[in-house]
Amino acid sequence: MRDLKHLIFFENLLQEANNDLVKQARNEGKKALGYTCYFMPEVLLDLPGCFSVRLRAPRSASPDMATYYMSGRTCHYGRSLMERALEGGFNFLDAQMATETCTVTCRFQEHLQRMDIIQNPDFFCEFTDVPFKKTENSVVHFRKQLQAHVLDKLHEKFGIDVSDEAMMTAIEEHNEVCRLITEIGSYRKLDVPTITGYEFHVIQLVSLVCPKYLILPYLRETAEELRTREPDRKPTWRVKVALSGAENDDPDFTKLIESCGALVVADRYCYGSLPGREEIAVAEGQPPLDAIARHYLETSMCPRFMPQDLMRGRKKYLADIVREYKADGLIVASNKFCEYWSYERTMDALILPRDYGIPTCSIEKEYVNSASGQLRTRFQAFIESVEIKKIQEGAKK
Amino acid sequence: MGKVFKFLGKLLLIIGGIYAALFAVFFFDLDGKALFYGVEPMLVKHYDKMPRRDPLKQMYETEKPSYEYKA
Amino acid sequence: MKKINWKKLKETDWKKAAKDFWYGKPHGERRLGDLYLPKTGLYKHREWRGVKDTLYYFNKIWLYNYGQMVMDIMKFGGPVIFAKGLWRYRWMGQTYLPVLHWFDRGLEGLRGEALRASAWHYRAMTCVTIQQFMAMFRADANLHGGQHNEAWKHSIAHKETVWGGIFYPWWGEYQNIPLEMIPYFVTCHVNNHTVLNYIDAVQSIGLPGDPCPMCQAEAGLFVLDDMPDYAPFVITSNEACDGSVASTAIQDWFLNKPLFAMPQPMQFDDPLVQEHCANEIREVWKFIEEQTGTPFSWDKLKEHLERQNELMRFEWEKWDVAANTSSYPINGVAQALYRIYQSQYGDNFIWHDTDKRVRKILEKCVAQKIDTFPKTRHRVIAWSCAPLYFSNWCTWAYNCWGLNTIINMDSLMFNMTIRTDNLDDCVMDMARYHEWAPMRRMAVGGMHHIFELWENMERFHCDMVMMYDQLQCKGMQGVHGLFEDEFRARNIHAIWMPHALPDKRTVSRSEIRTIINDYMTTVMQEEPLDPSLLDFDDSESW
Repeated sequence: MRDLKHLIFFENLLQEANNDLVKQARNEGKKALGYTCYFMPEVLLDLPGCFSVRLRAPRSASPDMATYYMSGRTCHYGRSLMERALEGGFNFLDAQMATETCTVTCRFQEHLQRMDIIQNPDFFCEFTDVPFKKTENSVVHFRKQLQAHVLDKLHEKFGIDVSDEAMMTAIEEHNEVCRLITEIGSYRKLDVPTITGYEFHVIQLVSLVCPKYLILPYLRETAEELRTREPDRKPTWRVKVALSGAENDDPDFTKLIESCGALVVADRYCYGSLPGREEIAVAEGQPPLDAIARHYLETSMCPRFMPQDLMRGRKKYLADIVREYKADGLIVASNKFCEYWSYERTMDALILPRDYGIPTCSIEKEYVNSASGQLRTRFQAFIESVEIKKIQEGAKK
Repeated sequence: MGKVFKFLGKLLLIIGGIYAALFAVFFFDLDGKALFYGVEPMLVKHYDKMPRRDPLKQMYETEKPSYEYKA
Repeated sequence: MKKINWKKLKETDWKKAAKDFWYGKPHGERRLGDLYLPKTGLYKHREWRGVKDTLYYFNKIWLYNYGQMVMDIMKFGGPVIFAKGLWRYRWMGQTYLPVLHWFDRGLEGLRGEALRASAWHYRAMTCVTIQQFMAMFRADANLHGGQHNEAWKHSIAHKETVWGGIFYPWWGEYQNIPLEMIPYFVTCHVNNHTVLNYIDAVQSIGLPGDPCPMCQAEAGLFVLDDMPDYAPFVITSNEACDGSVASTAIQDWFLNKPLFAMPQPMQFDDPLVQEHCANEIREVWKFIEEQTGTPFSWDKLKEHLERQNELMRFEWEKWDVAANTSSYPINGVAQALYRIYQSQYGDNFIWHDTDKRVRKILEKCVAQKIDTFPKTRHRVIAWSCAPLYFSNWCTWAYNCWGLNTIINMDSLMFNMTIRTDNLDDCVMDMARYHEWAPMRRMAVGGMHHIFELWENMERFHCDMVMMYDQLQCKGMQGVHGLFEDEFRARNIHAIWMPHALPDKRTVSRSEIRTIINDYMTTVMQEEPLDPSLLDFDDSESW
């Protein structure tokens, strides 16, 4: 396929948390607001006057200082963020909008609160409580939390306009990003997709880590480019897979899978677009904050949700994605020490093949995948088994 | 009367004997030893070879009611 | 025949021997470690504590508790259903028969009032345990040919981290029984072999080894088909951590019953979260009403909360004595286990009976200024969550080193009474109570909670910290370095005790003892009170 015009530019934006667009926005006087979890609505952090940066620690090596603080027995992602913060890589942040939604990222953010790590005199870290259900009681609670711990704080500390009009502006911009990403991602549903999993992963990530108003022109152009992009005559992949699991902001991981012969056509993981890039609908007369609170609870498929219908519904959601994106198999990857995804992955690997006939590869990975040789072997074996299955099914037909 | 005393004497002797035997069980940890070397291994053997349901065969219904109430 | 050693006999100080026989050997001369048989932890013979205390132990602890166990079984369901349960469930047969050895381990070396008060705590915990497993067996469809009897229809299953007080409104009509408290939690203390089967079982279906082993074991019970089917529906909670939430998904799969999730907010200091939490409690009550067809009773709720408040008030009195005197007659392990059990399980007659007895002992100790742990060298506060397979470490540490555990973190949870004058305030307090649950009160909602250690050290006049280091607890591991920094900055003696909650294979009891020994000799430069306890092999013991 023809190279995407902005791919190298996008890749460069992912080399640093404080990338060129972040620097530009800060130079324009906008406040940089860090966050780690989907439950912190990025749209509220993208109100006029500020912008959201979903934190990553690209090009991380061994997180030695963070390991002193958080031991070697916590999630590598949380520790890598901590290491990057200690190294000064997040000093550009004006605030961290935190959630206690998984233990280790919570501890990382509590360190930001307690220790003088971020060298920015105005820096503060504020926690929002996030419910475990999607009931009305939970929505009301979440709305109150967002008002008190996000909107009120941003207004009080930085004078951000948090009026309904400002929120509607942010929602419009956010929805455009979502529309574009959804459109770009939809080419993965084609029999012969016109975008690779790696390319999409990079594009999805830049939409999370760059100021929306600065990345939008590039996304528009990329979407335009993809409308006419032709697939390779002879596909370079042997099977198509959906990738599911815990936090994953490493496009090289997707590249690793694709280098083994499997095209990644769906991204149902933290930092992915399924779910995550649905438009926010505001009904007539509905306060925008209410729409936002509902949207983020309703769209999330996080294993943190406890009600029975939601726990079980997640399996069907995943199976539906595999079908919708015409994947031949599923890779479920959890980060080592991630409690939520250890269990979710175990169950996915048992239920998806049994109840939905989806070949599933279950792996545990690190934030920095130094063990790529072992993973490569696993993926190659899985891809071969899926291929054999496909051949056998073809022979039966 | 003598018979009663004799009976009571015997009873006391028996109770005393049982008490002394129990004290010996207690003091020499004979209960612990019996459980450790006799009862537990026997039970463990039983539990290890017991037929059990395979819970992984349990179906997984994805449609379940949503329990929500007006508080 | 063994030759009589006349020389030794001649050298014997008979006066001293008689004194030792009558009063027991003084601390320092006991050599308790010599009593163990290698590996098993069994005794060559049980400890001679002097005539009075040995007879007390024999009559009022050993005989009395064996007798009471039989009585309890008769009272709560009878021998037939007990035998059926014992034969069916590994956690029952393998664990609960050697319960008196659990007493032995916790009460080693104790004398006088400390022995008596601590033993009453053990008796209460045994009684509540029997009540629960007998209730499970009475209702268990597995033991009744798959039939759902009346007891099954009148039982409520819930995660062990759901506080029993939630079910007070149905007291007497429906019995709430925690899913894991008896098959998992208590077993680890009594016989640490059992739980390993459940951990292995859940890992055999693909779960990695790094999540919290407590949650692993709780899920493993279901994987191994070792969970009674005793109730028509289930209530879950997000306590204490991510692992608990995540493992519920596996439990739900195998339970396959109507399930209501009752989460508590994480940021519990925030006044804004209270109403949300209270509404979750109101919702769970509606769910129970819907499932049982039996209305909520405010009178019952009020009555049992008031009874529970009584328990809390006495606990405060106990803490006061522990903090400010040397006459506190309850040892570290009895204090910790009783408190966590009582406050989590909720109201029960046996807690009140026990508190009455303990009050008498406590008042006597205070009035007579009895030094209950006279060989105390250091007053220790134990922080974070304890190794379940070595909860009696504090007994060992006192006997060996004079480290007297005054209080521990989990005892300080649920630290409140609940208003009962009107339902609205009551539910708000119940919400707060639940937010302050064990492994949660100090572990979530901000780091300042976990650092309440410093004020509690001061409050209980402790000079040393036993810092539990649960290797698979992400919350505690995630704050490790800051603790190190604080210990150094405050010049506090803290011993890190690594462990894996129920799994003795990760860090054995012997390794834990070695860590403490090393700290006491190298850092504190102290000599052991009982050198026979420094190193012994109990690798196969319960």
